Amino acid sequence: MKIETKKVELALGNAKILKGIDLHVGKKEFVGVIGPNGSGKSTLLKCIYRVLQPSKGAVLLDGKPLKSYAVRDSAKKMAVVAQHNYYNFEFSVREVVLMGRAPHKRAMERDSAEDYQIVRAALKTVGMSAFEDRSFSTLSGGEQQRIILARALAQKTPCLILDEPTNHLDIKYQLQLMNIVKGLNLTVIAAIHDLNIAAMYCDRLLVVENGLIIKSGTPEEVLTPEFIKEVYEVDADVIKDEKGEIHILYHPTYRKIREDNEESSNV
Amino acid sequence: MNKDMNDKKAGLIKKTPGYVMTMIVLLILLILSVLLAVTFGSVRIPFRDVYGVILYQLFGIGDASVYGSGKIYDVVCFIRLPRLMLSMAVGMGLAVCGVIMQAVVKNPLAEPYTLGISSGASLGATVAILLGVGARFGSNYVGVMAFLGAFGISIAVVALANIGGRATSVKLLLGGMALSSVCSSFSSFVVYFSSDNDALKNVTFWLMGSFAGASWENIAVVFPIVVLALLFFWSQYRNLNLMLLGDETAITLGTDLHRLRQVYLLVSAAVVGFVVYSSGTIGFVGLIIPHLVRMVFGTDHKKILPICALIGAIFLIWADVLCRIILPGMELPVGLLTSMIGAPCFIYLMVRKRYGFGGGDS
Repeated sequence: MKIETKKVELALGNAKILKGIDLHVGKKEFVGVIGPNGSGKSTLLKCIYRVLQPSKGAVLLDGKPLKSYAVRDSAKKMAVVAQHNYYNFEFSVREVVLMGRAPHKRAMERDSAEDYQIVRAALKTVGMSAFEDRSFSTLSGGEQQRIILARALAQKTPCLILDEPTNHLDIKYQLQLMNIVKGLNLTVIAAIHDLNIAAMYCDRLLVVENGLIIKSGTPEEVLTPEFIKEVYEVDADVIKDEKGEIHILYHPTYRKIREDNEESSNV
Repeated sequence: MNKDMNDKKAGLIKKTPGYVMTMIVLLILLILSVLLAVTFGSVRIPFRDVYGVILYQLFGIGDASVYGSGKIYDVVCFIRLPRLMLSMAVGMGLAVCGVIMQAVVKNPLAEPYTLGISSGASLGATVAILLGVGARFGSNYVGVMAFLGAFGISIAVVALANIGGRATSVKLLLGGMALSSVCSSFSSFVVYFSSDNDALKNVTFWLMGSFAGASWENIAVVFPIVVLALLFFWSQYRNLNLMLLGDETAITLGTDLHRLRQVYLLVSAAVVGFVVYSSGTIGFVGLIIPHLVRMVFGTDHKKILPICALIGAIFLIWADVLCRIILPGMELPVGLLTSMIGAPCFIYLMVRKRYGFGGGDS
């Protein structure tokens, strides 16, 4: 499963959100898309998972333009876990996960025993088997997000797109979700807010700023103190521990602000 | 029933028998309701004679000279049975259309009224009765005009919501409310300047809804349409479920809802049009029944569509019986009764619990 974009541009009204994005994600690659708020990373992913149409350029799945796929067929190629939303409805966990089977079903087709088996397997993968009969709305945010991941798994796609899936979740659930995804060994494109999480899980990072990809490479290549200062305007140290994992340590600036305030009040 | 067997083999769905059982119980209740309700009426007829006529009609059992003709035969076959059949069909149709419209606009407050479809039907009927528009459609021209009004408005709502980008649920709901106001004000305009008192009374009666005009000819049209629409929507349960998750999620799950939303709306408008054509405007059935059913059975349309249809039918059968016996010597319009029962129920539900698709806790 290969995903490419060719000079993708997107304008909403007069504002150009994406200004010509070329990317290439190979088979079983785990690619993180990072960048500050409003940089266009989520918009880029939305173009890939068909919620938005690029105004120019094209998205290619396995070399063929996305537009040439029926919506149902592209949903057999890639599944999406998006930002956590509250849903105001009373579906059971099983019913929610079963919806992941929708692209494989025709209108009159019944849910088969195989579908239910896939649902159970997906719930087992995300560690939520015991919740099968629970009502979705009674679960915590982290649990709901794992159910949505199970729904994406039930789609049985070679590619998974994560659109800031861990926003608003506690750190435990953030790591849990990413661990599950990483363990699946699929092609993954993930928009990630947290640079430490991006560093921990991604094979390669793409940096989006102002609608362009300004840098790409391994986390070690991309995440340097200079880069973080330039793009995010924060001071940070990047260290590599004995296991070879990269950690970003941020430095607060309040001391300087305090000093400045004291100086100005002394005057 | 292949699926149920598969489920049992896999030992998976503990709940499936629950809702299947509910459907069987409701079906039995519906049949019992019909058998009981047929004995109520302004003319007192002994049970034995009522069932005698029915048995004779169905199986040819009994004495043809007693049950094959005459006054009792006329009352049972041309007044009571058509009325029952019509209230069943209308109850099913309205409850199902309520469920569908709520899914289409993703808002549990949607109903034939809030989407302007009933107002369109009312305008069509008012114009027909007071101004004689559409008289060349024949003796049933009022109904035909009501149907055309409902259909026209639903197309207008969809068209309005499509201006400046794809139709969203909010645009559909707002468009419906706007067009509903337009229609009601034009209806009021026509009523205000009319001096024909008989026609005005006719309009009023029609706007309140009644099964008094039931006839086998009406039923032959309405019943098949309602049943076909129910089967069609039941086959679409997956898409209806996806509608509640929103357009974005639905696309990632392989379904583009844009077209479907309009198809569903037009099919329900056709049902509402024919319902209004046969029995005037009857409110709140499409709002209260889906809500009650969701509170017990959740949101999965595979379960709630047939259950809503059955409960809607049972509800209107008894509402109509109540209308016939509550005031001695006269009959209450059934639309009036459903509003009188429905509106307080609705307020109670709203106050007691957050109004949602089954009501989440937060």
